[in-house]
Amino acid sequence: MSQSIPPIPPEDVRSATEAEDAKLASAQRSYSQGQLVRRRFFAHKPAVVSMAALIFIILLSITSIGFSGQGTGWWSKSFLATGLTVDGGVPTMFRDGFLGEHPFGQDSIGRDYFAMVMRGTQQSLLVALGVALSSTVLGVLVGALAGYFRGWIEAVLMRITDVVIVVPLLALAAVFGAYAQGLPGGTLTLALFIGLATWTGTARLVRAEILSLREKEYVSAAIAMGAHPARIILKHMLPNSIGVIVVNATFAIAAAILLETTLSYLGFGVQAPETSLGALIQNNQNAFTTRPWLFWFPGLFIIAIALSVNFIGDGLRDAIDPRQKRTGSARPGWRTAFGLLGQATAEERSGKQVTELSGGPTQMQPPAGMTDHGPDLGYDPTDEKRDS
Amino acid sequence: MYSYVLKRLLSAVAVLFGASLLVFVLVINSGDPLQELRESNAENVEFLIQQRIAFMNLDEPWYSRYWIWLSGIAGCAVGACEFGTNMSGQDVGAMVANSASSTLRLVFLATILSIIIGILTGIITAIRQYSSLDYAVSFFVFLFFSLPVFWAAVLAKDWMGITYNNWLREPNFTWTQITVVAVVLAIMVPLIIGGSARRRLLTGAVMFGFVLVAMPLLDSLNYAREPRLGPAVITLLGVGLAFGLTALLSGLRNRRVLYSALTVVGLGLVSYYATFWLLIDPPGGWLTIAGLFVVTIAVAVLVGRAMGGHAKGQAVAVSVITAALFAVMVLLDHFMRAWPGFLGIKPRPIATIGSSSPNFSGDFWQVALDQGTQLVLPTTILMLVSVATYTRYTRSSMLEAVNQDYIRTARAKGVNERTVVFKHAFRNSMIPLTTIVAFDFAGLIGGAVVVEQVFGWSGMGDMFVTGLSSSDPAPVMAFTLITGAAAVLFNLIADLMYAVLDPRIRV
Amino acid sequence: MPEPVLSYKDIRVSFATEFGDVDAVKGVSFDVMPGEVVAVVGESGSGKSVTSSTAMGLLPENATVNGEVLLEGKSVLTMSTAELRRLRGSDISMVFQEPMTALNPVLRVSDQLVEALQVHDVAFGGEALEKSIALLERVGIPDARTKIKQYPHQFSGGQRQRIVIAMAIACGPKVIIADEPTTALDVTVQAEILDLLRELKDELNTGILLITHNMGVVADMADRVVVMLNGEVVETGPVATILGHPEHPYTRRLLAAMPLLREAGDPSLESERVVVTERGGVGDSSSSRTATGVPDGRSNGRAANGVAGTDSDAPPALEAKDVALEYKFRRKATRVVHDLNFTVQPGEIMGLVGESGSGKSTVAKAVLGLLDVAEGELRVRGSNMPALPAKEKKALKREIGVVFQDPAASLDPRFPIGDIITEPMVVHKEGDKNSRMARARELLDAVRLPSSVLNRYPHELSGGQRQRISIARALTLNPTLLIADEPTSALDVSVQAAVLDLFSELQQQYGFACLFVSHDLAVVDALAHKVLVMQKGRTVEQGTTDQVLRHAKESYTQQLLAAAPVPNPEVQARRRTERQRLLAALA
Repeated sequence: MSQSIPPIPPEDVRSATEAEDAKLASAQRSYSQGQLVRRRFFAHKPAVVSMAALIFIILLSITSIGFSGQGTGWWSKSFLATGLTVDGGVPTMFRDGFLGEHPFGQDSIGRDYFAMVMRGTQQSLLVALGVALSSTVLGVLVGALAGYFRGWIEAVLMRITDVVIVVPLLALAAVFGAYAQGLPGGTLTLALFIGLATWTGTARLVRAEILSLREKEYVSAAIAMGAHPARIILKHMLPNSIGVIVVNATFAIAAAILLETTLSYLGFGVQAPETSLGALIQNNQNAFTTRPWLFWFPGLFIIAIALSVNFIGDGLRDAIDPRQKRTGSARPGWRTAFGLLGQATAEERSGKQVTELSGGPTQMQPPAGMTDHGPDLGYDPTDEKRDS
Repeated sequence: MYSYVLKRLLSAVAVLFGASLLVFVLVINSGDPLQELRESNAENVEFLIQQRIAFMNLDEPWYSRYWIWLSGIAGCAVGACEFGTNMSGQDVGAMVANSASSTLRLVFLATILSIIIGILTGIITAIRQYSSLDYAVSFFVFLFFSLPVFWAAVLAKDWMGITYNNWLREPNFTWTQITVVAVVLAIMVPLIIGGSARRRLLTGAVMFGFVLVAMPLLDSLNYAREPRLGPAVITLLGVGLAFGLTALLSGLRNRRVLYSALTVVGLGLVSYYATFWLLIDPPGGWLTIAGLFVVTIAVAVLVGRAMGGHAKGQAVAVSVITAALFAVMVLLDHFMRAWPGFLGIKPRPIATIGSSSPNFSGDFWQVALDQGTQLVLPTTILMLVSVATYTRYTRSSMLEAVNQDYIRTARAKGVNERTVVFKHAFRNSMIPLTTIVAFDFAGLIGGAVVVEQVFGWSGMGDMFVTGLSSSDPAPVMAFTLITGAAAVLFNLIADLMYAVLDPRIRV
Repeated sequence: MPEPVLSYKDIRVSFATEFGDVDAVKGVSFDVMPGEVVAVVGESGSGKSVTSSTAMGLLPENATVNGEVLLEGKSVLTMSTAELRRLRGSDISMVFQEPMTALNPVLRVSDQLVEALQVHDVAFGGEALEKSIALLERVGIPDARTKIKQYPHQFSGGQRQRIVIAMAIACGPKVIIADEPTTALDVTVQAEILDLLRELKDELNTGILLITHNMGVVADMADRVVVMLNGEVVETGPVATILGHPEHPYTRRLLAAMPLLREAGDPSLESERVVVTERGGVGDSSSSRTATGVPDGRSNGRAANGVAGTDSDAPPALEAKDVALEYKFRRKATRVVHDLNFTVQPGEIMGLVGESGSGKSTVAKAVLGLLDVAEGELRVRGSNMPALPAKEKKALKREIGVVFQDPAASLDPRFPIGDIITEPMVVHKEGDKNSRMARARELLDAVRLPSSVLNRYPHELSGGQRQRISIARALTLNPTLLIADEPTSALDVSVQAAVLDLFSELQQQYGFACLFVSHDLAVVDALAHKVLVMQKGRTVEQGTTDQVLRHAKESYTQQLLAAAPVPNPEVQARRRTERQRLLAALA
């Protein structure tokens, strides 16, 4: 309203707004959120390289020996068939043509190690994906319910979460793994059960996210118009926390790869005659001095997979996480990095610069957002005593 | 405060109860503890089966077995814990007594070391954000996150343990080794210290020259077999520390701080001679040393308070850190004195099996060295992931803190960058990190299970793995309870630390 | 002619962003003389903060600065970081917008003040502490000797801003840059802080560079004004000229857009009926608002005019009877609203006014069903909503629309605009796809946005446009009651003016009743038929707009009214004296 001196025609008052409206009508569509995420992700070089590497490993393991593992791919040898150990089982790759007879060598009873490593890779990836999937689904469910409903539902769910958190993750996963061994379904059952031990991180993260979304005005508006809680959670809250969930799930895959291999190494994971990368290392660790390749190949595959997934997760977080805004020409070039070009000192940085909130991938329990405080066993000092 | 702690402990007991029930049910259903005996061909197999049923109360339903276990544990409230017996009738309580100390020693050492190293690295990478050092550290952080612990452990056993032991027989640096070390340091040190391009080049050159002189010198002194510091070196380093810490924490212009730190160094030298003969074979072992350490810190606090004047707080901080590091150097000196004798008893020091050498006997320092050398590899391996975690979180937490409004206010006051980082940003960035400590501790316990397996320790982890693979609940439950209690404790400490660091929270 | 203490010469700043370089400041020049207050005025994106920050060297890393900044004749931009650091805090210091975050939360106030003195060798140790206590006393912190040992969170927002000011004057700077120093504060606190700055300036002969968007603050403080638009200076001159006889159309537009708190006898109160008639085209002489001065809301203005289409027997749109509201935390309830009584008739706008912590937004929350009512009745169209069974409650919610404050948060970023506007229909299962879209088009037309935005996402729209979408969504189901919680306080003045205009028009068109929550008395004056003033959860005064805003009985209302600055230096000077007299009389 503009009842003031000097009198100006109302059209003129509105012109700033009209200029915006005109811009809106004429403007090209700007970047959608999806496009922005894609653009940022592909600008993250380590993530792109990792993506390529991971796709290569997945394709290699599937096409080489096929899903049945019985020579349905382009590699005819089976991971189960024993044979005559040739030349002490030394790898033939690059020695005997490109691949040779046994590119990764043979184990002590003459099985083709390439086929075994491929089979192990398949199984490890399968378990990791299964674990990540089941833990994410469970974690999102628990986190969303606890975050939205508060009250006794939250109290019960968070107490259950505490019970699961208080047992060291590896130990609990081992117990679940040992339990799953007696059940039918093999690798997938194992994956689902390990997921029962690893969902707590996701649950706490999603709960924190939902709690912060509850304060958003569009959620208040939806509640005020009488929308059902299911609609609010499914239509408003989860779509808006999908970025956090996806990033977390990616890191969960990397953690699950390591968890599976560790469990198999301890004997609570994939059971013989089925094999996995961890089981291969466990079987061959004593051969390190005599036949090091039996040790090296599965280990390098684990590292390659876990490292790629971690870098992809890092790239995704950079691309998705709205808290992390990289302004300016994304990263400085190598000359600046080595201090050869004038690099601005930390002093000149201030204001709205790079904000990297969460750290890297975490080993097993991703803390539920840096502000969320500890696996609070009944009480959270950050809530009550903060005086402001 | 007390009611808060009490409340927390009570809810922790409830949570532990739930966890124990969960683990119990899963373990007893994970397999048949009699399987192995049923397949056995032993003559007294029937007796063995009966005996095992009796040990494990297998004739009872599961809930009364759990009840038996629970009532045993309830004894802890009055100081008489009953952990039950395992499948062969051994008292689990006694097993715990044997294994807990070595496992907890490993985990605590790894926790403390990784906190120190991780936070230091994190701060440096945050200050040097987007430098090649930052990138390199980031890469290693990701690598450590992606490294299977057991695989790295096998590798370390062979490369670090065996190679070092072999080298120690005739410890000489080749020129290639010296050059490589010199080049690496000449690149790394300037990156950490920073400054203008010219200053970096100069630092690099000095570093390169220093290594080229120092390493052959150490070689000629046969330092690897007969290391020593001696009062002169300790004092020199102490004075360096006094200057360095003053410069870092309050600025050299603050003379009172500098003088109190130098006074502490002087007193340290006096006490070096005063305690020399006492420490050659300390009566009471670690207790004496801990006592002396407490006295040292107390003296440092007094010196800081007396000499600090208006900068009391900073003077105390600098004096205490100087004193603590000085004490560590004195301790190191004594360890070095014992080293040649230790090598005589144990010619291949870095062990790859067990938590202590069997049938080892020696004086106080030699026994400590034995335990220490047994710890080197497991601790290093166990620390990798934790160091990576702390580095990453400290870095992002620092960067987060540096972008806050109050940092801008501090800069607008004209405060220099050192004060901005250490006074304003550091303490704020430590607040969220306290949360990580508790999480990381739980992770380390998991890691210890694996590391013990690789290095053949008979610790808690081994107890857990053996128990679980034979569906024997008692040892698994003991493991769950003790690690769970430790995790709860760490959580509580973390929350109290949180309250200490953040004045907005009062518990 | 004295030398300027601070002078900007052809400053250009650009930021490197993800989407290329953005020029934020395009050649700006002006001076600040000793003891002079220069106000830089502009809306968001005008580059006013960026320009002034160049003098401190505190711009983000991705900024490139060209031009020259002279501080007492020394060029700041060419200095080394160490030289610049020596100037900061001693020769030039800064007061920031957000007092809640400007102080380090983990350090005592004493540490932070003493540091400011020690850094520039002004004083050390005990002497510095004594000096700090004196500074705190100077800026009006009571009981400074004990309070100085406390942490920032133990002070209120206004007190924290005082501490920041104490820090800024600690070393006797030649010039202080005050970047929106009162924007985050309540209007009464704002008046006190401005008084303090004015006194300090006179005492220390310090130049002040005041960055603000509020023309009232300008009128209250400034000697000279620099008006900025899109990184350029459009007009500069003495405050009386700029505010009284602006040359540039932008300045005139800004001034015109500023909502005015009219005093009794203001000619616009009379002329208003003409304005309304012209613009709305629906009213007649009786449709003017408070000018008729009829005390009873029911026979007032539009309601009587039949625009709302109601007769006087209809139940009130909203009625509060002895309402008490509380927040529950871990089984402990804190009561924040006590004994609230009011009635909003159909077609009537009630302004709910108060400072932060008054509980005004809590009332809005309770009406929306976001908070349980602890005591009393909250009747919507005659039925006590909180007590209704779920199904009827949901049906009643159709009758309530809502517009929130934050344009960035009030629309779901994952929903296209069309879905946002039709969401109430989906929730209440009304219409099919086609009729919903038709309704959305109709509403977009009503808020004057092209129907092409139906498929756009909120982030593609400006703040003002998003608020208009919010209004459209609130009207989707033709509600009888609209809750507006500070709907324009996050917007720039000119955008705010447009949104308020639109709001007023729509109200006449649709005839909804409205509970309009605001901290801005001028906005309420422009819109509301009656006003309720709240303080600390209790009703201070209520009545027609004219009664409350021009003939206030309660001293708190009088203080509020007196503290609101008006964009006219002479009037504001008079009001300032009046206010001081009022405060003195109360004390």
